[in-house]
Amino acid sequence: MTILLAESPPIREEDLAPQRPWSKRSASFWVAAFLGSIVPLAILGGLFILTELPAAVLLIAFYLPLQLIGAGLAGYSAKGKHGVADSSIIVFAIGATALSAIVLGSMLLTIIVRGIAAFRPSFIFQNNVYISPSTPLEYGGIGHAILGTFLIVGIATLISVPFGIATAVYVTEVRGRAVPYVRFFVQAMSGVPSVVAGLFVLTVFILTGVLNTSAMAAAIAYAILMLPTVARTAEEVLRLVPEDLRTGALALGSTRSRVVLNVVIPAARTGIITAILLGIARVVGETAPLLLTALKNDQTVLNPFSDPISALPTFIFDNVAQPFPDAVTRAWGAALALMIIVAILFTITRFLSARKPRG
Amino acid sequence: MRDLTKSKKANRGDRIFNRTITGAAFTSLILLAGITLFLGSKAIPVLQDQGLIFLTTTIWDTIGVPPEYGIAGMLYGSLLLAVIALVIAVPISLFLAVFMVFMAPPRVAKFLTNLVDLMAAIPSVIIGLWAFYVLVPPSLEWQQLLNQYLGWIPLFQNESGNFTGTPFIAGAVLAIMMIPIVTSITAEVLKRTPPELINAAESLGCSMFTMLRYVALPFGRGGIVGGIMLGLGRALGETIAVFFVLKLVFDINVYQIIESGGGSVATLIVSKFGETSGEAEVNVLLASGFFLFLMTLVVNAIANLIVARTDRLKT
Repeated sequence: MTILLAESPPIREEDLAPQRPWSKRSASFWVAAFLGSIVPLAILGGLFILTELPAAVLLIAFYLPLQLIGAGLAGYSAKGKHGVADSSIIVFAIGATALSAIVLGSMLLTIIVRGIAAFRPSFIFQNNVYISPSTPLEYGGIGHAILGTFLIVGIATLISVPFGIATAVYVTEVRGRAVPYVRFFVQAMSGVPSVVAGLFVLTVFILTGVLNTSAMAAAIAYAILMLPTVARTAEEVLRLVPEDLRTGALALGSTRSRVVLNVVIPAARTGIITAILLGIARVVGETAPLLLTALKNDQTVLNPFSDPISALPTFIFDNVAQPFPDAVTRAWGAALALMIIVAILFTITRFLSARKPRG
Repeated sequence: MRDLTKSKKANRGDRIFNRTITGAAFTSLILLAGITLFLGSKAIPVLQDQGLIFLTTTIWDTIGVPPEYGIAGMLYGSLLLAVIALVIAVPISLFLAVFMVFMAPPRVAKFLTNLVDLMAAIPSVIIGLWAFYVLVPPSLEWQQLLNQYLGWIPLFQNESGNFTGTPFIAGAVLAIMMIPIVTSITAEVLKRTPPELINAAESLGCSMFTMLRYVALPFGRGGIVGGIMLGLGRALGETIAVFFVLKLVFDINVYQIIESGGGSVATLIVSKFGETSGEAEVNVLLASGFFLFLMTLVVNAIANLIVARTDRLKT
């Protein structure tokens, strides 16, 4: 038996992936499925023309049950009783997918369409001084908010990344006795609501007079929110570094600290950059901590300690729900700018993690 | 290897390195303890001042002598919103995950993974903006129809005829933010179902429904429940998206989910912070934040314990 196993070909990745045996269908099934989906669609079209109910209500209250019945009948004709349950799952699954796609598509489309109306060079480069909500769009912009976001996120990154990576190194390299506890606390940290992080900075630094409401205070709140994301992602990528690299370096006479600093971390370089970018993406749109620790400022502020400062999320927050259409358009413009930053971060992380890890 | 670093003979640089790293690794613990301590120290005077009525009443009287505060409506409101979000998000997420793992062609599955991750990356302030201008206007009509045809169910009663700022719509927005979290964790768990179990189920003649019901879902139960709890923690702490779509009222709105007005602790803090008139009122908000923190901490701890336990069972 063991000999047989030893001689069998190596198991490939594809063989281990979940199989989909039930995706093999007979021809009669396809006919039934075609009829079962075309008839409810036709009824939906009829209802859409004849009644004045909103599309969402029609889809959920009429189309979904009809489609379930149609698919159930198709399933029954092909596979009997078991086919009914299977086909309902397919209907629900495609429905859930379509719903999520519609929601995301609607968000992206509205941001782009309504945000582009505000975009012009002055909108990107000017600040918001002398601008009231009713000022036309030709004047003023979000330059100060973009700089504010970069300043706050930049400082937050400088604070949180060393601690995050140190936490990951402790778990994967030092492997001390407290590893399970450290991991548990990092997990617990990741659940801290952003508003609580803001309140914490408010109590410790602002109410005690150590810091003004400023970019620095906001950056500390952001750093608290970034830390668990950086630590957990960095831990995962350090785990991927092959053990041979560590033992090899040790065998050549390196000390443990040299192994970590000169071998393990350089080998996981791409992954660590991904961890940092994911941390930035986690906080870049957070609004609640800024409302408590940075307030707002229409002027461009570059000193992280001196004055209140605006960032993109607070700029959006201030301009939503204003009775002036131009203010609302500014909010959409700022949302588009924020979304572009998020999209860039998202694309880079995808690109980096798609590459094969080194070593 | 481990012994070398621990022994007295270890290189001096190594020992310093180890101590620094170990110290830095405890930042999370220090921060958690700091949050508990500092916010807790602000919550104690408020509780001494107001007594337990702070947690059990719905009075919010800032100009009275003495001023009186109660956040029962807010605490209950947070839970109600989270439950509504769960009821909407969990079935959608489960079906989405099942579709991604067991049904969709690999390319579609990859596209869906990206879609879900992108949804998770959208900042909450943008979701709030979108909800305020795009989701809320048509939802007024949906809620009106819901009330018209299903109004005999107590859940869908509405006496005021005002359908703006309802818990239902706030819960729906929270559901949109929960779906990516729950979906990605569920898909992760379902992917780990041993293929030999699935193939065995197929060879016994199981339909896909039977396979899901008796193989995949029981196998991934712990991870799925943990994922749902993590989503719940996120929903409890969400501030800004709810701020735009919920009309904050202090009275407890017990079950009329399409009646205007509801509560949320996180939103209370942000919306009242701008108009606070003195240290006492700031302290009240800090105390509210403390209880919000405790609530999310408990939910998250339970979630992580469930996830960790199932991980250990598998290995």
